Amino acid sequence: MKLLGIVFATVLITFSSASVLGQASKAPQFELRDVNGRTVRLSDYQGKVVLINFWATWCPPCRAEMPDLVRRQREFRKKGLQIIGITYPPENKDRVRRFARSLKVNYPIILGTRQLKVRFSSDETLPLTIVIDRDGKVSNIIVGILLPKEFDEMIKPLLMKNAEGG
Amino acid sequence: MRNRIISLVVGSVMVMALCVITAAAFTKTVTIKVEGMKCAKCSSSVSKALKATEGVEDAQVSSDKGEAVIKYDDQKTNEAKLREVINGTGFKAVAEPGQ
Repeated sequence: MKLLGIVFATVLITFSSASVLGQASKAPQFELRDVNGRTVRLSDYQGKVVLINFWATWCPPCRAEMPDLVRRQREFRKKGLQIIGITYPPENKDRVRRFARSLKVNYPIILGTRQLKVRFSSDETLPLTIVIDRDGKVSNIIVGILLPKEFDEMIKPLLMKNAEGG
Repeated sequence: MRNRIISLVVGSVMVMALCVITAAAFTKTVTIKVEGMKCAKCSSSVSKALKATEGVEDAQVSSDKGEAVIKYDDQKTNEAKLREVINGTGFKAVAEPGQ
């Protein structure tokens, strides 16, 4: 009985710490303004492969992966890739805007809140990238810096499947 | 017949022992100081990037100690490459004196 309790507790902790969303769950919808004042609705990107990248200006791995995200957004936009950056924890808008400009970020950046973050994942690791497929379902949650191998194995196949115009 | 079996077993054991010794000879462990890991979850990107590097057998990264202990096959990678991988995660692999 005690063993059963331990197993149950372990399973519970594993699931709660890994993520709030399970894979293949419908991604939570949101409508927010980005740092430039434009409205960003997740529903606007229906049919695209969306990467929601939680990051912070003070987080070294987040800063390190951003030039790659910018490059991938440019390279795979026509294949249907849309990246959305969400700062977490909440940050100063001007600082975020300046930072994004300095890196020539070519995708929307939103100031996140704890409420928004926990709808996607309870994992506090940064960066954290939610991969949403063309059907609006969470396909993967990438914890930590996005490695080229992960992009090739988890994201490219989604982009190749039913690519826009193809 | 019996002698043949004994020779075969002894031979196999020797080959296996040689393989283990050779593999051990290629495995090195290095501790690299890493600057900038100020949050508890910071180490996960360093650890993830190191473990994905060819030749790395294990990587234990501690934010508290500010270091990465890496076990690697020196036929496949080297310390300079491991430092590059750490620097690629946005942190700084601190060079030891004399390097």
